[in-house]
Amino acid sequence: MSSASINAAGMNSVEPARVEKRRSWLASVVHHALGRWGTRLGIGWIALVAFCATFAPFLANSFPLLVRVDGRWSSPAVIHLTAVDFTLVIAAASLLVLIRLKKLPWAIRAWWFAGILGMTLPLTLFAVKPPLVSGYEEYRDLKHEGRVQWMLSAPVPYSPNDHLTDQFDFTHPQPWAPSRSHWFGTEQNGEDVLSVMIHACRIAMSIGFISTGIAVFIGIIVGGLMGYFAGIVDLLGMRLVEVFGAIPTIYLLLAFCAAFERNIYMVMAIIGLTGWTGDARFVRAEFLRLRGQDFVHAAIAAGLPLRSVLFRHLLPNALAPILVSASFGVAAAILSESVLSFLGLGLPVDAASWGRLLNQSVGQGGGFHLWLAMYPGLAIFLTVFSYNLIGEALRDALDPRLNPQ
Amino acid sequence: MTQKPLLQIRDLNVAFDTPRGQIRPVRDVSLDIFPGQIVALVGESGCGKSVTSLSILRLIPSPPGKVLSGKIMLDSRDLPALPEKEMRKVRGKEIAMIFQEPMTSLNPVYTIGDQIVEAVMLHQHVSTKQAYGIAEESLREVGIADPRRRLQEYPHQMSGGMRQRVVIAMALSCKPKLLIADEPTTALDVTIQAQILELLRKLQRETGMAILLITHDLGVVAENADVVAVMYASRVVEVATVEEIFDHPLHPYTQGLLRSVPRLGAAEGRLESISGAVPNPARFPSGCKFHPRCSLSRQAAASAPAEQTVEIKTVEETFRVLKICTTVEPDLREVQPGHWGACHLIENYEGSKVSLPVLNHRREVTANAVAAEREGAVVVEVLQGKEG
Repeated sequence: MSSASINAAGMNSVEPARVEKRRSWLASVVHHALGRWGTRLGIGWIALVAFCATFAPFLANSFPLLVRVDGRWSSPAVIHLTAVDFTLVIAAASLLVLIRLKKLPWAIRAWWFAGILGMTLPLTLFAVKPPLVSGYEEYRDLKHEGRVQWMLSAPVPYSPNDHLTDQFDFTHPQPWAPSRSHWFGTEQNGEDVLSVMIHACRIAMSIGFISTGIAVFIGIIVGGLMGYFAGIVDLLGMRLVEVFGAIPTIYLLLAFCAAFERNIYMVMAIIGLTGWTGDARFVRAEFLRLRGQDFVHAAIAAGLPLRSVLFRHLLPNALAPILVSASFGVAAAILSESVLSFLGLGLPVDAASWGRLLNQSVGQGGGFHLWLAMYPGLAIFLTVFSYNLIGEALRDALDPRLNPQ
Repeated sequence: MTQKPLLQIRDLNVAFDTPRGQIRPVRDVSLDIFPGQIVALVGESGCGKSVTSLSILRLIPSPPGKVLSGKIMLDSRDLPALPEKEMRKVRGKEIAMIFQEPMTSLNPVYTIGDQIVEAVMLHQHVSTKQAYGIAEESLREVGIADPRRRLQEYPHQMSGGMRQRVVIAMALSCKPKLLIADEPTTALDVTIQAQILELLRKLQRETGMAILLITHDLGVVAENADVVAVMYASRVVEVATVEEIFDHPLHPYTQGLLRSVPRLGAAEGRLESISGAVPNPARFPSGCKFHPRCSLSRQAAASAPAEQTVEIKTVEETFRVLKICTTVEPDLREVQPGHWGACHLIENYEGSKVSLPVLNHRREVTANAVAAEREGAVVVEVLQGKEG
């Protein structure tokens, strides 16, 4: 008994020094990366963009959130929500709840989230049928006629496709400079710039993540097989990487956009399908390094199937450089989309995108509209900069020579 | 005794393709391991002992390595010819392996519990909860204090000795018939080495499994092995019981190895060593691969007629060895009953027959040794307390 208590006391005295170490390696890397103020600023900005993307219809909408017309209450904003809007809101809500459920392991929480998302999207696509937009000026007219008793508008009371046809003024043509009613001004069709920018967050987020997701997925599969099997597989794989690396993405995008209908998914697919070569090289190099290590031999010697050896034992150890390259990839994808939109290609004409606003900053008559260049340009710059900050911080945190542990 | 061997290696040849041509680190290796036996495979670095052990489980990186010929029979299955799916069932379940470097043989991103449970659930059809129970039990068996808490820890939170215990626990969690231990103590410091070997011996007695012990440490061999096979430059050069090897080593290489072990009380000045270095597998000498370093051949050449000897010039020295040593590669022959050797200079080698080294021998555990082990176990427990 006494020896046990001595032992316990001895252990306790060691414990404080170990507290720092009580994390998995990946968790400690994230912890180190998060310790830098630059990373926090970057994550803050990305979070703001994500928030705008999720709640865009509640932040900028021509339809009031809550209104009392002729004595009847209604919520036109909610009625006009699309299936995607619903899914995003439900996803955000479930994410918040799942993050709060601290007792569940992360893997199970991730499965729950994926499950909820997978259930909601088809359900909403099936159930949510928003009415065709009759006219964005409907409630402005009603208010003008004095039939509105009470109205709660969105912070920016204009939808991104609201061309302000009721406010047409021959003497003062669009675009309008920033004013009290349009904080960031309007663009050449009369759309409110701030509203367009808020709704454009969706494209900025999704184009970055989906195209990088495609690239990382292909990169992991191809690079993993090359690195693990080496030999002839590696030889052929590297030639494939070289072929794809030689494709100039922007020209391919221009050619496809000119030849086919404008479609954001095509843009994502092209950026993803041509951008995986860097990830593949990283994964290959890591797998080549790791395949000779004892724990991989031990995993094979334990009789684990190839799937488990590759994806459970090798991949998590090779994840670090992929994370870094992915965060730079997101930034590059956003830039590519902006370039395309700036050139007037890529997205459908009515899609809200930062690049399209940039495109409009040079007027048809040759005039230059500063607010159309500055605000979206700043948004693109900050987003790309944030992803680069995060990537840089991850890279430093992963470098064991800089890590005090 | 007509017990069937658990594992039979027959004329194993392994080759590696390198940019400068094929090298063959393992040639015509034959070895038998009986159930419950500890067979030591001894040799210097680069003699092919690790490659032999890796090829049993088909862990040789391929490309560039491949098994050229030979059989590795486990019960009645030939492992090199087994389909990959069948081979996976052998790995871990029937033959387990522990590696030299405990620092790298555990996956740094998973808790040790996750790693043991994955292997347990793969081979034994049990629930996750039962698998954690088995994992906890196997950690307790290898003498890890507070196993339940340790299951939740990551490898970097443990010391080298503890990690090697975990590795052993993982290897033994599925009750294999054969454990391949590739220099299990080389990377550990001396006190921990003794503990780990004691532990392996204890577990071996309890479970009755066989162990193939790969090592270059003759002390480890003397204390643990039943049968010893000495490898030099890709070949097995001597096989005998552990008592025979240490009392009557026949091959000049084995004799040299034993002479270069420091002994207590033998104050003779400089420790003897075998001159020269292990030959590069890409440029093995002709004939007996040991002849450039062989003192026996030199001595014999001094008294032999000149036409039976050959002069060898190296950077450092010029000397003569027997011609036969440089031209004819000696086979492994049973030079004495239960003692195989491959050297032209062993007494009555010429008259002996080439045969497969099969030795179903167990060392005698004297009462003295058991007492010593018990004493050792007490020391181990005390040390464990410190380690934790």
